[in-house]
Amino acid sequence: MVATEKKSVTPAGSSLLAAALLLPGLMHLAQAESPPEQSELSFKFLSYQDSQPGLERIKVSSPSLGLVTRLGDHWSVSAQATHDAISGASPRYHSAISSASQMHEERNAYELGATRYFERASLSLGVNGSKEHDYRSQGLSLEGKLASEDNNSTWSLGVSHSDDTINPVNLVVVDAKKRTTSWMLGLTQVWTSRDVLQLNLGYTTGSGYFSDPYKIVDNRPDSRDQRTLYLAWNHYVDAAQAALRTSYRYYNDSWGIKAHTLNLEWAQKLAPALSLTPSLRYTTQSAVSFYYNPTYDPVLGAPFPVGYSFGNGQILSPDQRLSAFGAITLGLKADWQFNKDMSFNLALDRYQQRASWRFGGGGSPGLADFNALMIQTGLDWKF
Amino acid sequence: MKKSQLLWPAAAFCVLILNGCAMQPVQAWEKGKLAQPAMKFDQDPMRKAFLEHVYASKEGASGGSGVAGGGCGCN
Repeated sequence: MVATEKKSVTPAGSSLLAAALLLPGLMHLAQAESPPEQSELSFKFLSYQDSQPGLERIKVSSPSLGLVTRLGDHWSVSAQATHDAISGASPRYHSAISSASQMHEERNAYELGATRYFERASLSLGVNGSKEHDYRSQGLSLEGKLASEDNNSTWSLGVSHSDDTINPVNLVVVDAKKRTTSWMLGLTQVWTSRDVLQLNLGYTTGSGYFSDPYKIVDNRPDSRDQRTLYLAWNHYVDAAQAALRTSYRYYNDSWGIKAHTLNLEWAQKLAPALSLTPSLRYTTQSAVSFYYNPTYDPVLGAPFPVGYSFGNGQILSPDQRLSAFGAITLGLKADWQFNKDMSFNLALDRYQQRASWRFGGGGSPGLADFNALMIQTGLDWKF
Repeated sequence: MKKSQLLWPAAAFCVLILNGCAMQPVQAWEKGKLAQPAMKFDQDPMRKAFLEHVYASKEGASGGSGVAGGGCGCN
């Protein structure tokens, strides 16, 4: 690696480079693709509660354990396990409280990964799975990265596939399948000594059962294509000793959703061992073409849309998440490095979804406000 | 997807990249600030994965920032 750098620098520059490489952290950047220098064990506990006025909806408690470790000079492996305990109530159409369906369930998920490092490239293979009593998912992913000789540009190409099986307790469907394949092309570019950029283009295509079996009058198309353009920019602010992280995502899909998402994070160092990161996320989306507003048929009543006829397989959904809205997340994260190898972090995120916050207006009428509070505590240990 | 929808961010990105190329490439010893954990794109992958999972289950749009994991999280 250093040998290739030598070609372009003078002997004086070369020794400067060698000296610079002794500084902590630089070795990692100088080597395009290399396994982590230390193993890392991470524990996270999250608690999640969402609500609408008059109804506490879903509550999730979820411990998660992750490990990344180096194997020799060219390999690293990773493993992660998560357990979710989910309980509460979910509206069966729109945001109707009266017919909210109570539920309680457990979800277990795992991810395993292995990465092989080459001089300027890496190749990662991953498997993942999750299991609930009514939903099983299995997935595979493959990602390659290639860095330029000066390490200022890194290209990545990834593909992932997942096979899901759905068996709802109400037997609306039995052994229903959903298969999705995602492609992602990415470029990370060092722009200046204070700026780094990332661009990702994503494409996902899926077929199978996409409906929500626990919602009434929910019948979605049996295929979905999704496209994303993601641009991120991290900028270091010397005067404040802070990093400004920004990203923008454009999303559209074959169901008619167009969404714009903006994320801002300000990572502020307060003391050598303490940093605070406030964050702000705004997203705005249009509704799917088959979403219907909560205006019900005068004869059939709720939840049936005006003119609804049974048995003709109309594509329709009364799902709030497929409606048109805007949403804001305000977050605050604290990181405390209490010795060289151990750190603790605490993050709070408050999420609010409102039809009236859709950019430019035109949010879906007649839905209750939706809120969620997320608290994550984490412990990281390097060894 | 209409081409015009991709055009302006792609154009903006090209300008930035070309700008970067026209300037002196950043040398290894100038990357001290960039090496700080706060400047990484994946500085807390578990937090990011959790938030992405929540957003994917409460919104119509999802994905964009990395190769996805699996699961339903429909509730």
